[in-house]
Amino acid sequence: MVVLLAVSSVCALSLGTPYVPPHRLVAAVLDGDTTLAGIVVTELRVPRLVLALVAGACLGAAGLVLQEALRNPLAVPEMLGVSSGAALGVAAPLVLSLSLPAAVQPMLAIGGAALGGGLTLLAAGLGRSPSAVLLTGAAVAAALQAALLVLMVMADQLDLQLIYRYLLGSLSARTWDDVAGLWPWLLVAAPALVLCAPVLSVMRLGDEDAEALGVRAQRARLAALAIAVVLIAPVTAVCGPVAWVGFLAPHLARWFDPAAGAVRWLPWSAVWGAVAVVVADLPARLALAPVETPAGAWTALLGVPAGVALMRSGGRGRAARRRPAAAAAVREPLPGPRKAASGAADDLSRARASDDVSADAPGRGRIDDGCPPSSGATRTEDVR
Amino acid sequence: MIRRFTVLAALAVVCAGVELVAGRGMSPGAAWDVLNGGGDPTERHILFQLRLPRLLVALVAGACLAVAGLVLQSALRNPLAGPEVTGVTPGAVLGAVTATALGLAGWDSPLAVVLAACAGGCVGAALLWLLAGRGRGDPAHTAVHGVLVSAVLGGLTAMVLLVEPGELGSVVQWLVGTTEGRVWQHWHLLWPWALVWGVAAWLLAGPLTLLRCGDDIALAAGLSARPARTLALLCAVALTAGAVAAVGALGFVGLLVPHLAVAVFGADLRVSLPGAALVGAVVVCGADAAAQLSSRLLAGALDSGRLTLPVGALTACLGAALLLVVVRRTPSRTF
Repeated sequence: MVVLLAVSSVCALSLGTPYVPPHRLVAAVLDGDTTLAGIVVTELRVPRLVLALVAGACLGAAGLVLQEALRNPLAVPEMLGVSSGAALGVAAPLVLSLSLPAAVQPMLAIGGAALGGGLTLLAAGLGRSPSAVLLTGAAVAAALQAALLVLMVMADQLDLQLIYRYLLGSLSARTWDDVAGLWPWLLVAAPALVLCAPVLSVMRLGDEDAEALGVRAQRARLAALAIAVVLIAPVTAVCGPVAWVGFLAPHLARWFDPAAGAVRWLPWSAVWGAVAVVVADLPARLALAPVETPAGAWTALLGVPAGVALMRSGGRGRAARRRPAAAAAVREPLPGPRKAASGAADDLSRARASDDVSADAPGRGRIDDGCPPSSGATRTEDVR
Repeated sequence: MIRRFTVLAALAVVCAGVELVAGRGMSPGAAWDVLNGGGDPTERHILFQLRLPRLLVALVAGACLAVAGLVLQSALRNPLAGPEVTGVTPGAVLGAVTATALGLAGWDSPLAVVLAACAGGCVGAALLWLLAGRGRGDPAHTAVHGVLVSAVLGGLTAMVLLVEPGELGSVVQWLVGTTEGRVWQHWHLLWPWALVWGVAAWLLAGPLTLLRCGDDIALAAGLSARPARTLALLCAVALTAGAVAAVGALGFVGLLVPHLAVAVFGADLRVSLPGAALVGAVVVCGADAAAQLSSRLLAGALDSGRLTLPVGALTACLGAALLLVVVRRTPSRTF
């Protein structure tokens, strides 16, 4: 873990054009502005590395907070509409060619992210089942994406390239200024994270138990969302929505230490997020040189399969996963999607498809002339 | 049943009429003149070479997507299956984009684009099959994994687009789904494809109705479930690929229209498959007409000639709203 981080950092600093051998790195940094290598390392590569570390840590921590608060292994910023909202907040002024001061950009991103996440949670209802939240989130994210694409269609070719690169999440050409813009937000978010970690471990137990222990579940959830928004939005404003890091990092943290609680996972998740972004940034810089590919595309490509594999292996050996014992639920490394959705499976396999989703669809009263609303099952030849 | 079909057909005609007269090129009055045999050559060209094929393509693509969604939902017994969430649509987009970038297929060889989209759709479906693993029988699980598959395929598409950025402008319209600039060429390619696979889907309607009841019942009725399901999936992929190659990735049509169709026509697919095709055509055509109208109004209001509203944005918003309503209104059920 530490070795991986060190190796990828050294690679990030030394590879590229010009190639700076690792043993000369220190000298190059000390030289500063006098040599070409020094300038490249201090002004380009170090800030990029720092930004990758910070962004990854933020995304990883935010992912864990969301997953724990919603008790849902797939509650990631991408699926809840948080990322899309933030991206929309940043891209809109770009297309509409409004010139804004740089300080406003994170604000816009935060507004967008809060809008997306808040919409999802409001629409899904706070105490609803995990998969309902996810489906709602997918819908909200899709709507926001559609808005983004409308913006992109309106843009001219040059803007389009810019926006597209930004939307994929890229760390290219970021300097110390971008890194400096992140600090104030981190100062807000870090104490909040520390404060909310114990609450998160209680949230695992389920809403009733948490309420019994004196945690207001709804408020805790909203607070978790707010923290996640404050963590994600500034990062998105600076380097675009680097996708799926918030999905991969918490799963890595859990996989390596399945017995721990949320308090222990939080730092690990942040570190793994940092590692993921730094590692993904290497092929992003070097794979198709001299063209830079966006790091976000690499994290999506490699992160999603890896995360799913981890989720599966974590779910293995839990034959008794439907045992409703609270103790088992606490001991489980993570409630895999099957568990999250097992209730859904039972319900939906019992109910016919048509009966289930469209029985309450709007307009049905108008379409079904004279059918009482409860007659879905009779109409759909339910055989069970 | 007959009455419902009639009402829907009437709706389709109304949508088509609105689509013909909406839009920015000329006023509705001028369009009416052209339809009555008048008008100058430009107006005639706009109506017969641009609006008419666009209308037909929208109708057929909507029908294709809806039928594909219904076939998928029935074959997988999963109310949340649709081309968008089973990786078929993103796969088709990836296939088409890759083929275009590699120079194997261009906009001048539309058939190659369709075939590439078909291959991509199969790849997407296969990827979901691998990724979902043992939880395949579980609707929500499959849907969620479908979103993940879409993310991977989207990443790949992004890579391809970044290596070959020349096509970005035209492809972006296509990522969201649009009927802008569809001409007779697209229509000549789309309708035979849709007809062949649509007829295949309709022939499969009986087996699919059995599959909806569950494998045991299908087996008891003398249907071998696995080949039937494979054929049905192939059919759905082909239909989706045709629609994607023609109009791009329209959001949510294939997921929600089948539910509407089943609500209206019942669960017997021999009736509700044609019904779904009709509903899909109405939805996409209506959305396109609305998009045209609103583009016109917005362009007038904001005074910018570049502003167009792609139909895919509208269907995505509409579908998202519907999905939210559905999720909200079933509080007793955990999805």
